[in-house]
This record gives sequence, structure tokens and C-alpha cells, in this order.
Amino acid sequence: MDGFFQFLHAVVAIGLSADLFVVVWATLLGIVIGMIPGLTATLGVALVTTLTFTMEQNTAILVLICVYIGAIYGGGRTAILLNIPGTPANAASALDGFPLAKQGRAGEAMAVATTGSFLGSIVGMLGLAIIAPWLAEFALDFTSFEFFWLAVFGIVLCGQLTAMDDPLKGWIAGFFGLLVAMVGQESLHAYARFSYGISDLEGGFGLLPVLVGAFGCAEVFVVMRQEATHLVASKVGNVLGSALSSFRYAKTWLRSGAIGTFMGVVPGVGEDMGAWVSYAAAKRASKNPEEYGKGSTEGLLAAETGNNAAVPGALIPVLTLAIPGSAPAAVLLAAMIIHGLRPGPLIMITQADFFYSVVAMVFWASCAMLVLGLLLTRPLLYVLKVRREWLMGAIFVLCVVGSYAIAGRIFDVWVMIAFGLIGFLMRETGFPVAPMILGVVLGPILDNNLRRSLSISQGDPLQFVSRPISMVIAALVLAIILFSLPPVQRALGLVLSRLPSLSRKNGDA
Amino acid sequence: MTRARPLITDLLGGLVVTAIGVAGFVESWRMPRFAERHADPFTVPGLTPGLLCAVLTVLGVALILRAMAGRGGAVAIPILEWPAGSAQRMIFTIASVFLYGFVLFGNVPFLIATGAFIFIFTIGAELLNADRELGLLPLGVGALVLAIVAAFAIRFIFVSVFLVRLPG
Repeated sequence: MDGFFQFLHAVVAIGLSADLFVVVWATLLGIVIGMIPGLTATLGVALVTTLTFTMEQNTAILVLICVYIGAIYGGGRTAILLNIPGTPANAASALDGFPLAKQGRAGEAMAVATTGSFLGSIVGMLGLAIIAPWLAEFALDFTSFEFFWLAVFGIVLCGQLTAMDDPLKGWIAGFFGLLVAMVGQESLHAYARFSYGISDLEGGFGLLPVLVGAFGCAEVFVVMRQEATHLVASKVGNVLGSALSSFRYAKTWLRSGAIGTFMGVVPGVGEDMGAWVSYAAAKRASKNPEEYGKGSTEGLLAAETGNNAAVPGALIPVLTLAIPGSAPAAVLLAAMIIHGLRPGPLIMITQADFFYSVVAMVFWASCAMLVLGLLLTRPLLYVLKVRREWLMGAIFVLCVVGSYAIAGRIFDVWVMIAFGLIGFLMRETGFPVAPMILGVVLGPILDNNLRRSLSISQGDPLQFVSRPISMVIAALVLAIILFSLPPVQRALGLVLSRLPSLSRKNGDA
Repeated sequence: MTRARPLITDLLGGLVVTAIGVAGFVESWRMPRFAERHADPFTVPGLTPGLLCAVLTVLGVALILRAMAGRGGAVAIPILEWPAGSAQRMIFTIASVFLYGFVLFGNVPFLIATGAFIFIFTIGAELLNADRELGLLPLGVGALVLAIVAAFAIRFIFVSVFLVRLPG
């Protein structure tokens, strides 16, 4: 009950202060960023982080959470009206949102997306408020062995889920990210790895320049490479009336909210998988699965609920384990550290007030998203009419200045451009970028905990799997790898296909 | 598109990954062990990168073997498709981005560098756009206004509001 009152106190504190104005402009900024094709939530949060350096801690995190939630929601507009997801998280929304817009039901689609996003955020917020304190308490038992396995688990699972058809490339991307994180001075002996006497390299690659490059600069390349997009509908109607109709699908949004939250918790997976898995589950459970992909409001609701529920879900490992649940959450984690906050298992002991403030921030951002989304449907359409030729130059300048502003190093600008090219080439050759970013974040955690564990155990590998929690995580890692191997998949398929005939034989006998 | 082309891309990708893995492993092996400081051999700096590079090498070799066996190619490989307009836009984008990021930014006063980049980028991208609606004069005036406004606005936000010192 203490937690509930702390949450209420935080909600009232934001509601009665000037921070409410911050909520409105930051959420609106997030929506606009999400709506512009090529500007992802990750890029938005990364760029806005550079603008929050001089802000007070809580205000800065409030701005970033509002931008994050707004951007994931805003991308749905683009998916509905352009058939191009504004952010990768909205790809599933285009499947039914665009056909709805083509049928002249764009207003209804946007209303459903708005309500779905709001409900998803609220379900996710409840998940955050309930699961995070429990997980933080559980994580107090974690030692270096568990943290090592958690880092490996994050990379393996993220690599698997972000490249379902080709997990090998996902794992390569993840391990490449871990290797990138090895550049620069390590923490135990202060030795500068892979630096060759170059002082800039001795400091390592900054997380923000790498992120802004891999998502922002790469996005500029991707957008300029693609053909131009055109609005399918510039007139909308029946927005407010349709918004309430979403509540009819209570099972769908509750299920999608729960799935989205869970997908958010899984390290590095995030909003896009939240949307896809929610969409697939809704289709499987639907009485009218044949309508999916042809303009199903239920399908759109599931996708939008799933991706927005993943946002608070992704904050759970950020706050309790200091491990990001998604790429934008990785930036948020970096921003928290820059602002002097220390997320991790001790958060409920040392910074419980901050934790409940974050839950309240999610609440206010969700409310702002609902109100702005429903009231500004028509004015926001103008954002989609901005031509990329007039936008991308300024976006690139923001990437450059944002990377430079963190440490005042020209080197960071070069790193940003280099990772922009790497991110672009990875996308062009079928390698997912998210595992690489997760690798860069988890690299120091993996390095420190691996060497600490080896030192404690004096190289005894059995100690890595003899503790109950580490044994479970190690078994999960092994299972993910094994079930991704084609021979194992074929053997499993063969066994499953023979199961019905075997059970029939047993029945006959 | 033939099936062989994605596999060649995978083969090249595998070779690059393997090369990075092997080179990284050699470099990790060469890192100091700090025996003179009586450092714990399980904490030496080359240990983690060495292990990561070994894993990366194995994954790279697996990608090469898979491509040579004619399997894989399940994921779309956009790099294989380059329509003329797309290629021109990419060359222009990379050239202008490099010009700003590596040459202008930090060496030329910020307002001039940024204004010039945005002006050149907007004009160039519009000229390469097959669906261009504006004539040359309105395009030039519009790009000039955008360049000046954007350069001053970005400078104002970062320097005056967020107290960041910009180069040049």
C-alpha cells in the first residue's frame, strides 16, 4: 500500500506543478518525431537527451519518457496514412491501419490507435508498478555470475527475436556490439584496449554517438535511399466516436497489454516485437481472423496496444537491473546515468521516490498522448506533408550537434557518422541493428562480471552453473541456441508431426 | 533476383565478420597479462575481448559455411537492389554528409557551415527528386530561408538555451 500512496503522491506532484506543461510539449514533440518517417523513437530520445543536460534530474527524465511514449504512438499515424511505419514499432499497425484508411476510415483507425496506445501504456504502467519492485528485490540476490548470464541471455534472446528468420545474423550483430564496447579503457587494470595510442579511442566509443549514428544518421541514409511517400487520406472524421468503440475489445487490449509489457521486459526486444506478438495472438484468438490484414480494427488495436505497453515494460529492466528492454530504453538508461541517477537492484531501497515518479511520468505521458492524439488529429496531418528533402538536412545537423554536445569532442561526430554507415550497411544486408546497440550497452556489464566471476571461482566453469538462478538463465540461453539450430528444428518438427499418429495408436491399443 | 545473390552477400558478410573476429583475437592475445604486477590471470584485459572474438569468428565461419552450402537468404537483402534514382540520392547524401561532418563542422564557423550544408542538401535532394514541384527560383529562395532559419534556430537552442559551446 505504501507504494500506491507514493505513486499517488508523485501523480499529484506532477499534476500540480509546472511539469504538467512539460508533459504536454514533450509528448507533442514525441508524437511529431514519431510521425515523421525516418525519425524513430530512439533517435528522438537520443537527440532530446542532448537538450536535457542543463535540466533538473526529474524534469529531464520526464521529458524523455514523454518523448518516448509520444514517438511510439505517433509512428502509428504514419503507418495508417502512408503505409510506412513512423517507427519500427508501428510496422504491424500498417497491416490493418492502411487498409482502413484506404476504405475512407482513417479517422476511425487513428482513434482506435490512440485508445489502444493509451490502454497499452496504462496496462504497461501497472506492470511496471507491480513487477519492478518485485524484480528489484529478487535481483538483490544476483551476484556477478547472474549478471554475466543476464548479459549473455539479453544478447542471445535479442539476436533471436529481432531476426526470427535468421538468428545467426542477430547473434553476430549482438557480439559485434559487445566487441565495440571493449574499445577503450577497461575498469580493472585501466588498460586501454584496441586504442593504439590514439587518445580519443582510449576513452572508448560514447553510447550516445553510437546510438545517434546507428539509428539517426543511418535513418537519414535509409530515408534518402527509398522512394518518396504519399498521403493516402488527408481528410478524417468520426474520431471521438470511434475512440470509445475500442473499449468493446476488452480481451484484446488486456491480452495485448500483457504481451506488450512482457516483450518490453525481455532485454533488447522492445516495442516492435510487442506489436507483432500481440497482433499474432489477437489474430489467433479472433473470431474473424480472415479480416486481419484487410482492415481489422481489432488487429490495429492489438498492434498499437502491444507496442505502447512495451514502453513501460522496457523500463522495468532499466530501473531494476540497469539493462535496457529496448533501443530507446538504452538511451534512456544512458540519460539516467548522465543525470546522476543509478538504476539497478538497489533502486527500491535508495531511490524509491524516483521509481514511483517514473510510474507517474508514464501515467501523465499516457494521458497527454490520449488528449493530444484525439484533439489534434487534423492539425497533426500537416506534419506528414513535410517533404523529406526539406527535413533530412536539418535532422543530420541535429545528429552532428547532438553527438558533439555530450563531450565537446569532434571525434564523437566521426564516431556517429561511422556508426551511421555501419547501421545502414547492416540494414541493407539483413543484420538487425538492435542487438548491436544492446551489445554496446551490455559490454561493460558482461566484461566486469565475467572477469570478477572467473577470479572468484579461479576459473572453475562449474561455478557458473551451480547457483540456482544462474543455472536457470544458462539453461535458457542453451535452449534458445539449441532450438534455433536447423537440425534441432527439423527433428522437433518431425516429432511434433508424429505425435497425433502416436497418440492415435496408443488410443487404439 | 536469383537465390545466389543473397548467398554471395552472406558469404562476404561472413568473411568480414570472420576477419574482424580473427584480427580481434590476435590483438586480444597480444594484450598485456600484468604478470609483473602479480595480476590474477583471470582478470587480464584481453580475456573478454578474446572470448568475444572467438565467438564472433565461429559465427562468421558458420555464416560462410551456410552460404557455401546454399542455405540461408531468408532475410531480405535490400543492398542488392539499386534503382537509378536511389543510387544517385545515396551518393549525394553520403557526399554531402561527409562534407559537413568531416570537413565543415569544427573547421568553419557553425552558422556558415550549417547554413551552407542545409542549403546544398535541400537544393541537391530536390533536384534529384523526380516528383519535384517547385521551379528553380522558388526552390532556391525556400532553401535559403530554411538554411538561415535552421542554422540560427539550432545555434540558439544549443548555445543560448542549453549552454553548449559549439565549435567554429
